[in-house]
Amino acid sequence: MHEMSLVQGLLGQLHELAKEHNKEKVISVSMEIGPFSGVVIDSFQFGFDILARDDALTREAILLIESPPALYRCCSCGMEMKAEQRPERCRHCSETLLSPVGGDDLVLRQVEME
Amino acid sequence: MCDACGCDLKPEEHSHDSRVVEVHQSLLAANTAMAKKNRVHIEEMGAVAINMISSPGSGKTTLLEKTIEALGGSLRIGVIEGDIETDRDAERIRAKGVPVIQLTTGGACHLDAAQIHKGLHLLEKEEGGAQLDLLFIENVGNLVCPATFDLGEHHRLVLVSVPEGPDKPAKYPKAFHSSQVFIISKTDLLPYFDFPVEEAKAEALQLNPDLQVMALSATSGEGFEQWLDYLKEVCAH
Ligand SMILES: Nc1nc2c(ncn2[C@@H]2O[C@H](COP(=O)(O)OP(=O)(O)OP(=O)(O)O)[C@@H](O)[C@H]2O)c(=O)[nH]1
Ligand SMILES: [Mg+2]
Ligand SMILES: [Zn+2]
Repeated sequence: MHEMSLVQGLLGQLHELAKEHNKEKVISVSMEIGPFSGVVIDSFQFGFDILARDDALTREAILLIESPPALYRCCSCGMEMKAEQRPERCRHCSETLLSPVGGDDLVLRQVEME
Repeated sequence: MCDACGCDLKPEEHSHDSRVVEVHQSLLAANTAMAKKNRVHIEEMGAVAINMISSPGSGKTTLLEKTIEALGGSLRIGVIEGDIETDRDAERIRAKGVPVIQLTTGGACHLDAAQIHKGLHLLEKEEGGAQLDLLFIENVGNLVCPATFDLGEHHRLVLVSVPEGPDKPAKYPKAFHSSQVFIISKTDLLPYFDFPVEEAKAEALQLNPDLQVMALSATSGEGFEQWLDYLKEVCAH
């Protein structure tokens, strides 16, 4: 459950942002979690629900998570394809070796505070 | 999307006394920045660092013991051990006569770059720990969480032992996406388990075509030459 420590990092960052902008309450947090980030979205949400409720700043905050589709590049013809699940073969040349492209980050996009 | 302020909420979900701050920053940014510093620090020590990731008991410490026996005379090896509790693994490595420090995470399921930063400073204080050719970081036994955290290593190595079964790449893709080397360990046990080595290799290569795959046994020594050659080559660069 490394999601817990990532949520702790997020809460720390929210405190800094609130201080910087002179706000007392976080209303919403919007995140992008890449398909290759190694983070389970449900666990992240679960960790947020537990830890944020314990904290006056984030008690009522809504967490919005977006996860873009995974992107794969064919090792033979270079074609890139989006897919929910890893495709068996390249749609263009039938090659089976496909490399994941990007998608390994967790980005805090925007925070709404008052 | 809300038209009034452009945030991701529906209009009825919030009031506009509030303010939306655009952040667009990675949650891993602090870890990544520290990992970068660690990499420089490790290079100043003269070393190449290898981060070892596997489930508990796949044979990481045993592989290190045998590696030190084989290469300890020709390469300066240091080890940072990560475990949730106890310094048993560090004791095993210390008995082989190389500088080692134990990091205990106190419950956390992975090492992060800040812990390694601390670990590097501690290791430098150990006899022979300041100048190294090879630094092994044995991560906490866990095939999931450690894969998300760059420690400042140069190579990441994922181990799966024969008794665990060949389906690990498919089930834990992140560890395989992010590694350069995949080791199938405990091959002396192949007669007793259903582990089709070639299939497991092929499946891992499908996930990550750049993986270097090796199969070996620390107890019988099978496949060890290839492993030692790999280490020597890594150090020569
Ligand atoms: N048969 C066989 N057993 C092995 C081999 N390598 C390790 N073992 C055994 O596997 C068990 C676990 O080995 P360790 O080296 O402690 O494994 P580890 O990955 O360091 O374990 P953690 O640090 O707890 O995650 C021990 O009982 C070892 O003797 C091998 O090549 N063959
Ligand atoms: Mg160990
Ligand atoms: Zn193709």
